[in-house]
Amino acid sequence: MNRFNLVKLANSLLPVAFALLIGAGIMVGMGHNPLEAYGIMFGRSLFTVRGLTNTLHMASPLILAGLAIAVTFRANLFNMGVEGQLLFGGFMAGIVGAYIQMSSPLLHKLLAFLAAAAAGMLFALLPALLRAFLRVDEMVVTLTLNYVMMTILEYLASGPFRNQGAGYVSTNTIRETAMFSRIGNTRLTPFFIISVIIFLLMWFLQKKTRFGYTVEAIGKNPQFSEATGLRVRRNIVKLMLISGALAGIAGAGHMMSHEFNYTLSFSGNPGIGWDGMLISLLGGHSPLGVLIAAVFYSSLKTGADNINLYTGIPKEIVAIIQGLIILFLSIQLIEQRFGPVKRWRAKRQMKEAERGSVE
Amino acid sequence: MESMLSTKDLTKQFGDFTANDKINFSVREGEIKAIVGENGAGKTTLMNMLYGDLEPTSGAVFLRGKHVRFNSPRDAIANGIGMVHQHFMLVPSFSVYENILLGAEIVNERIPFLVNSKEEKQRCRELIEKYGYDLDVNEKVANLSVGEQQKIEILKMLYRDVDILILDEPTSVLTPQEVDEFLIQLKKLKAKGKTIIIITHKLREVMDVSDSVMVMKQGQVIGNVETDETSEAELAQMMVGRKVLLTVQNDHKSVDGRTVMLNVNGLTTNDAAGKTVVNNVSFHIETGEIYGIAGVEGNGQSELVKLLSGMMESTSGSVVFEGQDITNWWVNDLRSKGIGIVPEDRFAEGLCKEMTLCANSIAGSTASKDFSPRGVFSTKRIRDHCQTLIDEYRIRIADFDGNVSQLSGGNAQKLIIAREMFKSPKLLIACQPTRGVDIGAIEFIHRQIIDFRDKGGAVLLVSSELSEVLSLADRVGVMYKGGIIGEVDPQQTTETEVGLLMAGAAPRTEATA
Repeated sequence: MNRFNLVKLANSLLPVAFALLIGAGIMVGMGHNPLEAYGIMFGRSLFTVRGLTNTLHMASPLILAGLAIAVTFRANLFNMGVEGQLLFGGFMAGIVGAYIQMSSPLLHKLLAFLAAAAAGMLFALLPALLRAFLRVDEMVVTLTLNYVMMTILEYLASGPFRNQGAGYVSTNTIRETAMFSRIGNTRLTPFFIISVIIFLLMWFLQKKTRFGYTVEAIGKNPQFSEATGLRVRRNIVKLMLISGALAGIAGAGHMMSHEFNYTLSFSGNPGIGWDGMLISLLGGHSPLGVLIAAVFYSSLKTGADNINLYTGIPKEIVAIIQGLIILFLSIQLIEQRFGPVKRWRAKRQMKEAERGSVE
Repeated sequence: MESMLSTKDLTKQFGDFTANDKINFSVREGEIKAIVGENGAGKTTLMNMLYGDLEPTSGAVFLRGKHVRFNSPRDAIANGIGMVHQHFMLVPSFSVYENILLGAEIVNERIPFLVNSKEEKQRCRELIEKYGYDLDVNEKVANLSVGEQQKIEILKMLYRDVDILILDEPTSVLTPQEVDEFLIQLKKLKAKGKTIIIITHKLREVMDVSDSVMVMKQGQVIGNVETDETSEAELAQMMVGRKVLLTVQNDHKSVDGRTVMLNVNGLTTNDAAGKTVVNNVSFHIETGEIYGIAGVEGNGQSELVKLLSGMMESTSGSVVFEGQDITNWWVNDLRSKGIGIVPEDRFAEGLCKEMTLCANSIAGSTASKDFSPRGVFSTKRIRDHCQTLIDEYRIRIADFDGNVSQLSGGNAQKLIIAREMFKSPKLLIACQPTRGVDIGAIEFIHRQIIDFRDKGGAVLLVSSELSEVLSLADRVGVMYKGGIIGEVDPQQTTETEVGLLMAGAAPRTEATA
């Protein structure tokens, strides 16, 4: 492995290591044994059949959300609207699942996925066009649109599409033909397999096709891409649409394999889309990295329940660790977007070179 | 006459890049010295060192024969050297007198933290009167024209009683009328005993106002001449000319059965600011012909290349390639029609530094079946292709799987040319193909271009190296202010004639017909 890859690996592992270390410090301060806690947390969520299948089940939408963000990050685009696109996709899948009657379970699910993907793409289209043709910062637009979408869906779920029988804000439960059934005795559903297939597809696209080349070139040097005939604007729109579709599919899968109706806490807190951002950063925006990071992150989530169950440590410790990972990773994000360290380094190198040539 | 300010072997390096290489500069007391050279020749760097803004890497500065060392512009001003930068440093919401006295306020005698504005205004009025300027001291700078703002910058320096005034491209922001007035003002300042150093690349002004001229190119002094012993043409030639580097045999042999490959007709475009940068350009290139574009840089050559390579849109005019109208086509369509492009800025448009050699070797051909026979990239084919380019063009690499950033300028350029030639284009657009390239690579690149021509290819060669254009091209168009001012036959013309055209002198009638 060359130095570059090592740096990349360290970029992913160090934030996690620091977060776990500080988490351990907190546990020691509370009078608990952190090794035991971590042992239970990861042991139960990764090394028991039940725990592992749980983890993989929870990881399914996370993988897709992570991929949705990673694909834009690689092109130096920042689709921060994955959460909104995912919610919209999940909601649409819920509507299709609940209101449309179909005899074939396969076709019903397919239709729900299509509707969700279309919804995600639609919601990504506006920022994509603004970015490509008017150079409006897509980061700001996508980020703020999330809240627009949340509010719209809150209205729809509590108004026109409300399940009147439920004592809380919720849409009707989807029909059985739209529900993924469990595999064997586990919580895993075929949605996990779909996620993995999409992961393989994205990996293949990125490694082996013109599409991947285009993404990389646009991310690294847009001027070069334009000059060698890659249509940058068109590809920006394309990429944002792919990202939106992935987010929509993630939402649909989550709906049909886990939630079964749309509630205000559909994607949890923080939402799957936000988790996806963290996962993409953790995975260095490569498909394989995203897969590994999604499983790890999911194991943290399922591990939280075990920690609560088997030790006296409050499960909030996991939220603290998650928060710390986000904090440390965001340093990386700042660097990626604004490059302060890079600039500082270049400045220092220049100064050194100057000094060197004086002496 | 005694030298007022001079330098000995003054050198400035930024990392590996040498911006100023052993400059020996000298200005006499009371003269106007012009420093000319193209963008990036190192003029401003030199002045910033004289002004204490940049620390020299090596060499020394002498003021009236005494070795001096300025640590900051403040030092320089204290020693009587003032500089007006290209971009003004004024506070728009302050009035004229406040700007002139910024940093040198006159304070109230009894209450030292209060500014004595009455006294300030009085001093400024006297100053303005002394130098015959026409300015109201109470006017806000935001309301003033660019020309007036420049006067304030100069007054700022005069107030500080400098003897030497350095002006960095003072006329580039002025309208023609303002320029004329400015030049008169300069002569007045000189009459008052000031020594003036003016950086410019406008030769007319040099001839009009200066006493002597120093020509710089690529960080070096090309020559020092007295203004009344030189001409615009000679200066233009010095600015762009490079002493004989050409060893490539060019027999200008005629290829049989020539047909017109590219026909450019009345091509015009504006830049982002709405200024016409390419103005009614017409020419044609035949098969087996190299058409050269010469000219002082910044006269529309870069934009012309951008237009022809699909990176910029034209506002009027047409481009016809092999009988087909390709005006404002996309880059990828132009490339697939058989146009090879060697762009001006090789690391911005030609190559992607952070991508691998292999990835760069297929840039522009990613859709080709050769590299993805079944719609999927064949790693083996791409690697073989890249290896072929490296072998055939003898590109020196350190790591085959590494990024392009490992390549030197010359080898990077070779990679671009190898890649573009490999596609066997019908037309090659080469912009500054040998800039910053070592001599060996220059020769190699020239050889490639001539071989391509001899096999019947058409070449558009744009270069600010006059000798390069004249020795390679079969016909040469000279660009001036966005238009082609004249066309010459390089085998019959002289560098002097081309130099005159480059300086904007009237074209020969028969050449434009």
